[in-house]
Amino acid sequence: MAGNPRFGKRVRDLREAKKAVDPSFSLRQFAVKVGISATFLSKVETGEFDPPSAENIIKMAELLDVDADELLALANKTDPELEEIIKTAPKAMADLLRTARDRGLTTDDLERITKSMKRKS
Amino acid sequence: MARKIDFIHKETIEAGTLVLLGDYSRKYGLTVGPPVPVEEILEAHLGLAYDFDDLPRLMGTPDVLGGTWFRSREVKIDQSLDPTVFPSQLGRYRFTVAHEVGHWELHRHRYLSAEGQAAMFAGEDRPVVCRSNDTSPLEWQADRFAGYLLMPKEMVFAQWETMHGNREPYIAIDEIEDLKARWGLADDDRPTVDVARQMAPVFEVSAKAMQIRLIELGLIRTKVPEPGLFS
Repeated sequence: MAGNPRFGKRVRDLREAKKAVDPSFSLRQFAVKVGISATFLSKVETGEFDPPSAENIIKMAELLDVDADELLALANKTDPELEEIIKTAPKAMADLLRTARDRGLTTDDLERITKSMKRKS
Repeated sequence: MARKIDFIHKETIEAGTLVLLGDYSRKYGLTVGPPVPVEEILEAHLGLAYDFDDLPRLMGTPDVLGGTWFRSREVKIDQSLDPTVFPSQLGRYRFTVAHEVGHWELHRHRYLSAEGQAAMFAGEDRPVVCRSNDTSPLEWQADRFAGYLLMPKEMVFAQWETMHGNREPYIAIDEIEDLKARWGLADDDRPTVDVARQMAPVFEVSAKAMQIRLIELGLIRTKVPEPGLFS
């Protein structure tokens, strides 16, 4: 386990901030809610161990009130839900993503397109 | 350690735990009942960094259960006590956490003054290392603190009343003799009696720790009471 100090520190900082007002964000209680052991969480937060599974990270984000994609990106993982989405229309979805990449769309471009699609729905 | 260890009276230690519980409860607006939230007190109220680690490996000493680093405000507990991995260790784990809180409350000024200064010049943050069965005065004081913090007198009496309907003590002499005979225990070995084992899970402490506290509070009697002057 190589460890990921950036992910670990972010989770610890977020948890500390929560704990300042709600003591139930203790190491053990948080680990239990996420579904991992307290020792594992401790070592992930100190950067000794690699981040947990994507499912555990999504649970962490939910408890910490942050965007799961932020924590998943820090952990170099993708939301397993994305795989499911692609599987619903494998060719078309892959085509869409490749085209976006090949056209060199920036984050701003992508956000604009998403926004406009959301407006239409 | 050259400096003499200050004697702290047990009533002073007990009063310290009650002040701490009161402060915690006021700060977060919570009513504290058993099990006493020792990790929340350590991590949130005292704001100490808290982690699990392989302490015998880290310290190069066997049997280390916990350690407190005063200058860097850190507490580490040995991973062999992690109750999310080893649920049967819950009582010992919580006692160790409460014990480290005891070191922080009772001994940090001492470490941060003379010894702490000396260590600072040497560029190191010497922890107080807690091993099982260490009977030194500092460890005794932290153990006392842990017992009082985890099992406050009033909470124990109230729980006893809930479970038994009154505050009458239990005379445990026959049960102890019976258990000793059944398990073939030595005369100085004291088995835990049922009433202690039933109450221990409420406070999330070991049956042994619960029994020691109940005997101390006079709720379990291990000796025949002396006849009263006028009885």
